[in-house]
Amino acid sequence: MDKNMKVLVVDDFSTMRRIVKNLLRDLGFTNIQEADDGSTALPMLKDGEFDFVVTDWNMPGMQGIDLLKAIRADASLAHIPVLMVTAEAKKEQIVMAAQAGVNGYIVKPFTAATLKTKLDKIFERLG
Amino acid sequence: MSKYNGVHVSLEQAKLLVEYLETDQQEKANELIAEIQNPINSELFAEIGKLTRQLHDSLMNFQLDSRLNDLATADIPDAKERLNYVITRTEDAANKTMDAVEAIFPVVDSIQQQVKAVNPMWGKLMHNDLDVGQFKNLCIEIDSLLKTTDSETAKMHSLMTDVLMAQDFQDLTGQVIRKVIDLVREVEDSLINMLTAFGISSDGVLEAKKPKVGDNLVEGPIVNKKERDDVVADQDDVDDLLSSLGF
Repeated sequence: MDKNMKVLVVDDFSTMRRIVKNLLRDLGFTNIQEADDGSTALPMLKDGEFDFVVTDWNMPGMQGIDLLKAIRADASLAHIPVLMVTAEAKKEQIVMAAQAGVNGYIVKPFTAATLKTKLDKIFERLG
Repeated sequence: MSKYNGVHVSLEQAKLLVEYLETDQQEKANELIAEIQNPINSELFAEIGKLTRQLHDSLMNFQLDSRLNDLATADIPDAKERLNYVITRTEDAANKTMDAVEAIFPVVDSIQQQVKAVNPMWGKLMHNDLDVGQFKNLCIEIDSLLKTTDSETAKMHSLMTDVLMAQDFQDLTGQVIRKVIDLVREVEDSLINMLTAFGISSDGVLEAKKPKVGDNLVEGPIVNKKERDDVVADQDDVDDLLSSLGF
């Protein structure tokens, strides 16, 4: 896990983006950018050579699940690991995300420890 | 004498009526009268019939619109629950934050105290004013100070993280409140539709109602200070107001 990797944090609530960014910084990640919606995130990803995406589900323009699907459908983006951090807690949604290729799913409210654990697991699996 | 103004009766009909009555043809006379009155009555009845049908249809539509039923029986109770959730989450967040802050204060104080305790000796060292014995003591105290600071700052870092995480309430409550706003909007639209359906102009209704002093004095926090000219903006305004009145 290269902590210099370029991370994109996507959430329509700026307070949540701020929390995630601070937690990532605390874990040693220094190269973090933000987007306020799936629809603003996608062009950034297409332009930007990101290595990791942390995204919310419920966003007004393009939802996180659709952003995930768009990432997996784009040959240049499909390899990027995606972690969902969301208040959406229905079983069918979790299954949907897993089937769409999400690498991790964290439900809000969450703890700093959970974030660290899930990140470690994601990058462990990717080898 | 005709009771109905605007009864259309022709001279021929009147003459015919008199003829029937003079020739004792009561039934024919009654029929003729009925015929003359009929157009007005049937117009009236047609109008009343049309209005009745419209009213019936409108009422049926309200019953058939299960949206209204859902609003009343499910969505509004749901909205109340959601708003209670907001109260709970914000209360929890406030308490979590204050817990962390209250735990941090003594940690910071204790480090400060230790530093203050060491300072005089340290000052002497800086002025080359220590004998070997005192110097040894100073080293021990500084060693202790370093170890304490190390562990206490680690504790503080963890508590600060707790404060950070406690702010997640804003995102969660924000999502919940958005849903309630959507619901309120729907109820508002339904009510306006209802009013217009019954021909009541909604213009007067939509005029924003400013609370008057005496109507409901206790308002709670003012959420739209900029649009109000009857509230103070901050503590300075309060102080100015009171002193202008001589308090």
